[in-house]
Amino acid sequence: MKVLIVEDEVPLRTTLLEFLRHGGYVCETAESYQQAHEKIKLYQYDCVLIDLTLPDGNGLNLVRTLKADKSEAGVLIISARDALDDKVQGLELGADDYLPKPFHLAELNARLRAILRRRQFQGQRHLAFRDLTVFPEQALVLVHDQPVTLTRKEYDLLLFFLANPNRVLTKEAIAEHIWGDAADMADSFDFIYTHLKNLRKKLQELGADNYIRTIYGLGYKLETE
Amino acid sequence: MKLLTTTNRYYLALATVLFVLGTGVLYVGMQKILADEVDEQLELHQSYVSKRIQETRALPPITDPTELTLSRKPHRTGLGDTVLFDPVERSSVPFRELTFPVTVQGQPYWITLRKSLIETEDVLEVVLTVMLVVMGLLFSSLVLLNRWLSRWLWAPFQQTLGVLRGYQLQQPQSLALPPTPIDEFSELNQAVTQLTQRVAADYRALKEFTENAAHETQTPLAIMQAKLEQLMQLPELPETAAESVHDLYRAALRLSRLHQALTLLSKIENRQFTDAAPLRLDELVADKLAQLQDFLEAKEIEPQLLLTAPLAVVMHPSLADSLVSNLLQNAIKHNLQKGGLQVTVTANTLDVVNTGPPLSGDPMQLLGRFRKHNAASDSPGLGLSIVQQICTHYGFRLRYTFAAPESLHTLHVEFR
Repeated sequence: MKVLIVEDEVPLRTTLLEFLRHGGYVCETAESYQQAHEKIKLYQYDCVLIDLTLPDGNGLNLVRTLKADKSEAGVLIISARDALDDKVQGLELGADDYLPKPFHLAELNARLRAILRRRQFQGQRHLAFRDLTVFPEQALVLVHDQPVTLTRKEYDLLLFFLANPNRVLTKEAIAEHIWGDAADMADSFDFIYTHLKNLRKKLQELGADNYIRTIYGLGYKLETE
Repeated sequence: MKLLTTTNRYYLALATVLFVLGTGVLYVGMQKILADEVDEQLELHQSYVSKRIQETRALPPITDPTELTLSRKPHRTGLGDTVLFDPVERSSVPFRELTFPVTVQGQPYWITLRKSLIETEDVLEVVLTVMLVVMGLLFSSLVLLNRWLSRWLWAPFQQTLGVLRGYQLQQPQSLALPPTPIDEFSELNQAVTQLTQRVAADYRALKEFTENAAHETQTPLAIMQAKLEQLMQLPELPETAAESVHDLYRAALRLSRLHQALTLLSKIENRQFTDAAPLRLDELVADKLAQLQDFLEAKEIEPQLLLTAPLAVVMHPSLADSLVSNLLQNAIKHNLQKGGLQVTVTANTLDVVNTGPPLSGDPMQLLGRFRKHNAASDSPGLGLSIVQQICTHYGFRLRYTFAAPESLHTLHVEFR
């Protein structure tokens, strides 16, 4: 998977690069509009992460260029400008998703996965993880080829974990992923635990191992081994 | 009152005063001139009669007793006024008379010459009528002229007014006012154009500032959050450090949310949400309540939703979302364990009633920024300020009341 990161802030760019490389992506970076423009004209990417506010131009023009070139690449806009206009304009121009800054890296990963899944896996649209097979199109989960009935939230939770294997997912990131802006009103995240407990139970009942480990004080982690 | 009516009123008052004064002066003047003329004629007549008497040594013949009378009794001599019955006119008529003594054949006589004033009254009548007609014509033509002028001359003013009414700060194009040959209006148009340009520039600067401030703050926060998240992934991170890192991460999140809320508030204040769409708030309330199910369950709250009528409003969708979310989240967040929550929606009101900690003082105070009941609470106390700002923006009325006996907090929104 080849991803281009267009971001002018050095610390954020390096963090994203490190994070995505660790996640198995082949990454390239661009720190200016000009550089990004050159790269999208020269090379093919599976997905382009675009920051809208660049020192020498507006990231929206990169989206326009990609669309004008009929590029296959998915487009994920990351921006600190959360003006609704930018969001609407970005999506209308053909961006696949819009993630306002600051974001959780896990959330970025989940959105990136979703875009790539929609764009790349033509035909074989399923995810396999140890004893699990997930068909995101049908929201179908199989454990040892047996279907599991999950609630919407349990399913979202599982997909979020599958997008971020071997990473500690903080309760805050999980809460925001599932409950959006409402997450900040929670005094405690006990109900995440409730959903997680039910999810584990349903998977284990069909003979799956317990892959989701509690990391004390921080959150949870889906383990590959 | 219309400008035209006001000026016309003053015109009418002035014209009436001038007319009355003018008529009075004219009347007195005419009367004096006419009286002088009659006196002159009488004196002329006197000299003529006197001459005749001297030549003929006989009394003049009395042809018209009203015009000339003879008396042997002494009379007051000189000019005077009198009223006599005129058999021709069949009414009492004012006369001017001149009496003088003569001696004919050693006998003293007093001759009185009279002249009727009735013709002079007729003249005055004509004068008054002419004045009245002229004034009437003058005034009605003035009113008509003013009407016409106001329609044609004031047209640029009405146009300016119309353009200003339709002017929206958020629109990029500046005010387009048609040129006018009238200096006052072109000056007004110029001043208005300059004003709107200045206001638009200020507005753009403010908007840009808000956006830049958002960007400049969100970017370092994004870096902090991403770096801290990466730190937490390190397997070799000692448990003691992990706790600190997690605390920092939570603080960064809190700061970011606070910042988002403040940015939203200033955007509402700057009126940056202009696209309104018709919405069903009752449906939104039901949806939001379902989304908040987990939070309700965590507090063991059984919400009661009463939808008596569809509540249709015209609002910016994200502001409607923000209004409803903040009201419901506030009611859940500051509720008691196993507390109560009742949401009532009618055709133009929304009531959110929840149990909560007892409150002292004016609950409306809690609508201010950073005002919260429990000072130690994690929430920045901006939720209700956002609700209030949205209500102010759309002209909705928001009321926060607290009923002590059951410790019930009520937020009541009236949509016009």
